[in-house]
Amino acid sequence: MGSSSSNMDHIPDAQHLMQETGFSAAHLVRLYERFDFLDKDDRGELRLDDFEAVSELAMNPIGDRIIRAFFSPGRETVDFPSFVRILAHFRPTDTNRTRNGRNGAQPEPANSRTNKLKFAFQLYDQDRDGKISREELLQVLRAMLEMQVTEEQLQSIAERAIQEADLDLDDTISFDEFKKSLEKVDIEHKMSIRFLE
Amino acid sequence: MPSRTGSHSPAGFGKSLPERGLLLLMVLVFLEGSVLPLGAASSPDTSHQTNLGDHQGTHTGPNSTKKPFPVLAVEYDRVQIPFEISLWVLLASLMKLGFHLIPRLSSIVPESCLLIVVGLLVGGLIKLAGEEVPPVLDSRLFFLCLLPPIILDAGYFLPIRPFMENLGTILMFAVVGTLWNAFFIGGVLYGVAQIQPANPSDLHQLELLPCLLFGSIISAVDPVAVLAVFEEIHINELLHILVFGESLLNDAVTVVLYHLFEEYAGVGTVTLLDGVLGVISFFVVALGGVLVGAIYGILAAFTSRFTSHTRVIEPLFVFVYSYMAYLSAEIFHLSGIMALIACGAVMRPYVEANISHKSHTTIKYFLKMWSSVSETLIFIFLGVATVDGPHAWNWTFVTVTVILCLVARVIGVVGLTYVINKFRIVKLTTKDQFIIAYGGLRGAIAFSLGFLLNQDHFPMRKMFLTAIITVIFFTVFVQGMTIKPLVELLAVKKKQEAKRSINEEIHTQFLDHLLTGIEDICGHYGHHHWKDKLNRFNKKYVKKCLIAGERSKEPQLIAFYHKMEMKQAIELVESGGGVKLPSAMPSTVSMQNIQPKKPPPAKPVERVLPQLPKGREEEIRKILRSNLQRTRQRLRSYNRHTLVADPYEDGFSDLLIKKQRMVELEKKMSNYLTVPAAPPDSPTMCRARLASDPQAYSMKPVSDSVPTIQVDLASPQSPDSVNLLDEFRHAGQQQPEVEDQGLMMKPPSGPSGPNKPREADEARDQQKLMRCLSDPGPSADEDEDEPEKIKKKKSH
Repeated sequence: MGSSSSNMDHIPDAQHLMQETGFSAAHLVRLYERFDFLDKDDRGELRLDDFEAVSELAMNPIGDRIIRAFFSPGRETVDFPSFVRILAHFRPTDTNRTRNGRNGAQPEPANSRTNKLKFAFQLYDQDRDGKISREELLQVLRAMLEMQVTEEQLQSIAERAIQEADLDLDDTISFDEFKKSLEKVDIEHKMSIRFLE
Repeated sequence: MPSRTGSHSPAGFGKSLPERGLLLLMVLVFLEGSVLPLGAASSPDTSHQTNLGDHQGTHTGPNSTKKPFPVLAVEYDRVQIPFEISLWVLLASLMKLGFHLIPRLSSIVPESCLLIVVGLLVGGLIKLAGEEVPPVLDSRLFFLCLLPPIILDAGYFLPIRPFMENLGTILMFAVVGTLWNAFFIGGVLYGVAQIQPANPSDLHQLELLPCLLFGSIISAVDPVAVLAVFEEIHINELLHILVFGESLLNDAVTVVLYHLFEEYAGVGTVTLLDGVLGVISFFVVALGGVLVGAIYGILAAFTSRFTSHTRVIEPLFVFVYSYMAYLSAEIFHLSGIMALIACGAVMRPYVEANISHKSHTTIKYFLKMWSSVSETLIFIFLGVATVDGPHAWNWTFVTVTVILCLVARVIGVVGLTYVINKFRIVKLTTKDQFIIAYGGLRGAIAFSLGFLLNQDHFPMRKMFLTAIITVIFFTVFVQGMTIKPLVELLAVKKKQEAKRSINEEIHTQFLDHLLTGIEDICGHYGHHHWKDKLNRFNKKYVKKCLIAGERSKEPQLIAFYHKMEMKQAIELVESGGGVKLPSAMPSTVSMQNIQPKKPPPAKPVERVLPQLPKGREEEIRKILRSNLQRTRQRLRSYNRHTLVADPYEDGFSDLLIKKQRMVELEKKMSNYLTVPAAPPDSPTMCRARLASDPQAYSMKPVSDSVPTIQVDLASPQSPDSVNLLDEFRHAGQQQPEVEDQGLMMKPPSGPSGPNKPREADEARDQQKLMRCLSDPGPSADEDEDEPEKIKKKKSH
C-alpha cells in the first residue's frame, strides 16, 4: 500500500481533515487513493465526467443526484476535502462519543444521525428550500420506479406519502417531518459503510 | 380464585367464567387420564391382535349359540389410535384455552411451564391408574410430526431483512457457540466423572465420547422453547432474531456432532481424520439442507404460478412442498430444519405474489394453528415423559450439568460478542448479551435426541435422560419465568408494534440506492452492492419465471402500496364505517350509505372535497345500476370449484373494471362520472350475509335516493370475467395516457382539467369503499337503453 507517511504528505491539510471528519490516517490514505483513481487526468480535483465514469452509477436510479451532491452549489469541481467531507456522513456512528459530557461546544460530527438524515434530505430537496415538495417527491419516485408504473399510480403514492408524513399540513415534507417518518428505521446502521470505519 | 358471586354457590350458574374453565379443565384431565389407560388395557399396541379378535368375533357367530342381535356394541380397538391422538390434541387445545381464561395466570407463568405441569399431571394420573404410559415423546413422532409445523411457521414468517443483516452474528453464535458449549460441557463432565472419589460411582464408567455426545445433545438452544418464551416477552427485533436465528441454525451443528459421536462412541476413539470429515460433513449438512429447501421452495413458487384457476388447493402446495423438503433432507441426514427454513423463506415472496388473498390468510392461519397445537403437545408430552422415566438420578452428574450449561453459555456469549463487536456496526451491549445468554433455553429436541440413543451402546442412557430433563425443566421453569421480569427490570427495548408506513418504504429504498451509489464511488463492494446485484438478478430473471402474469413486473413499492390500500379498505369496513374516517373520504357518499339513519357527520378535516350536483349523481347511478345488474344475473351455481367472489379481491377488481368501462363510456358521452358506493346495510351485515349465503344477493329494494352497486358473483372461470380481468390487466399497463382511468389509483388533485380533480377524488375514494363494501341490492327500475350502449362497448 505504500508507506502511509509519504502518501499523507500529498494530502492537503490532513490533520485538520482527520479531526473534522473523524477518519483515521489509514482511512484517509485509502480515500485519497480512491480519489486519485477516479481523477483520471490527475488534476487534483474531480469533475462530473470522472464520476460518471463509475459504471455502476449509471445503473443507479438516483445516481445523478448522488453525483450532484458532491458538488457544492455553484462549483464545477470536487476537491479532496469536499470528497472526504461528504463521505464522512457515512461513517458508522461512534456511540460512545455522543454520550460523555459533549455539550453543544463542538458541532455534531458529520456522521451523527441527524446529519446523515440531513444529507439524505438534501438529495430529495433539489432546490434546497428546506422542504420536499410534491413535485420533488414525484421526481424521486419516477426515478426509482423507472417507467414501470403509470403516472396516476405515482401520483397516488406521492399523495399518500405526503398525507402520512405531513403533520403541519403545508403539503410539503419538512426536515423534521422527514426525520419523524424515519424514526423507526435504524439509520445509524443503514447509512453506514463499514469500509469507512 | 377470586370469584364475583361466591365460589361455592350450589347452583353452577353463579360461578364466574374462570372457575368454570378450571372445572372443565379438571374434568377433562380426569377423562383423559381414565380413557388412555383404558385404551392401553383393552388392546396391546399390536394391531394384528385386534384383527384377530375381530375375526374371532365374527366367526364364532354361526358356530356357537345364537346371541341376540347387539343393538349397541362397543368396539374401541378399531378407532383406538386415531381416537387417542384426537384426545391428546383436544386436551392440548383445551388447556390452551383454559390458561387464557384464568385471569392473571398467563401473565406470571409462561404457557410452556403450565403445559409441562399438565403433562406431569396426566402422566401421574395414568401411572396411578396402574397403566403403561404411552411412549408419547417417541422420537419418530416428534421429529416427523410435531416439529415440522413449528419450524415451517417460523421459516415462512421469518423476517428476512433483519435475519440477513445479522447473519454473520447469528452464524457465529450458532456454530462456534454450540461447538464451544458441546466441547466444554462434555470435556468438563468427563473430567468431573473421572475425579470422582473412589466410592464405586457409576460415573467412572463414563467415557469421553459419550460425554461429548451428551454435551452436544444438551448444548443446542431449542427453537421451540425459545419461541414459546420469547413470544410472550415482546422483545426488540434484533435480540429476537439473534436468539431465534441461532436456535434454528445450530441444528446443522447438532446433527453433525450427534452422528459423529454416536458412530464412534461404540468404537471408542475419534481420529483426526474423523474430525476433518466431521467438518466437511458439517458444510455438507448445512449447505445441503439449504439447497434442498431452496429447490423445493422454487418448485412451490413455480407451481403457484399456475394455480389461478384452482385457488382452493393453493395452501396445500405450500404445506406439502415444505414437508417434502424436510423429509427429503432427513433421508440424507441433512439438516431438516434448515431445509424447512430455506424452503419457506425462498418460496414466500413469489408465492405471495401469486396466490389469492384468501389463500394467504388460510396459509397463515393453518400454520399458526398447527404450530400452536404442536408446541402445546410437545410440552405436555415432555411432562408425561418425565413421569414415565426411565430415570437414573445421580446428584453429581445432574447438578454439574445444570451448572455447566449456564456457565458455558455465559462464557460463550461474552467471548463471542467481544469478537463479533469488532465487525458489527451496531454493537451489542451488555444488556443484549445478558438476554442472549439468558435466552438459551433447552427443550424437547434435546430430549428426543437423547431418547434416540441406543441403550446398548450407551449404558448411561438413563442418566443422560434424567439430566436432560432436569436441564430442560430448569431452563423452561426458572429462566422462562424470570426472563420477563428481568426484561422489565433491565429496561430492554421492546418490540415496536407499528406497521410500516409508505414513507418508510420509499425512504428505505431510496437509502438503499444511495448507499449502493456511495459504495460504488468508494470502490467498495460491500453489503449494499451485492444486495443490489441480487435484486437486479431477481427482477430480471427469477420473477419472470415464478410469478404469474403481469405481477412479475410489479415493483416492490407498488405491491406494498396495493397491500396498504387493501388493508386500509378492510379496516374501514371492519370499523363499521364509523364516524372517524381516514383521510379523504367524501362525506356525500360514505356516511349516507353506511348508516342511512344517521345524518351525515361533519366532513373530515384533512381534505375537503367538493360535492357533486344532484342531477349528475342520478344519471351516474342509473348507468351503474343497469350495467352492473346485468352481469350479476349470469352466475348462480355454487360449487367447490367456483369460489364465491371475494369482495376484497375478485369482486373488487371486477368492480373496478366495470367502473373503468363506465368511465370510458362516460367519456364518450362526455358526462362526469363518479361512482357512488352504496351498501344499504351496514358493512358487517353485508359481510355476514356474504359469508353465509353466497347466492342471496337479493336484498331489500332500496329507496332511490341511495345508489346501489351490485357485486358480480363471477367465478374466475366465467368467460366474461376473464375477459374483464384481462382487459383490466391490459388497461392497467397501458401507456400512461393521462386520460386513462388507471383504476387502482387516481390522483386526488390531478393536474389536468377542472373536471378531473372532482371526478378523480370521488372515484378513488369510491374505490376504497367499493372494495370493502360488497352488497348492494337490486333496484326496481332499469334503463333499457343503457345496456345496449354497454353491449356495444363490450364488443371491442
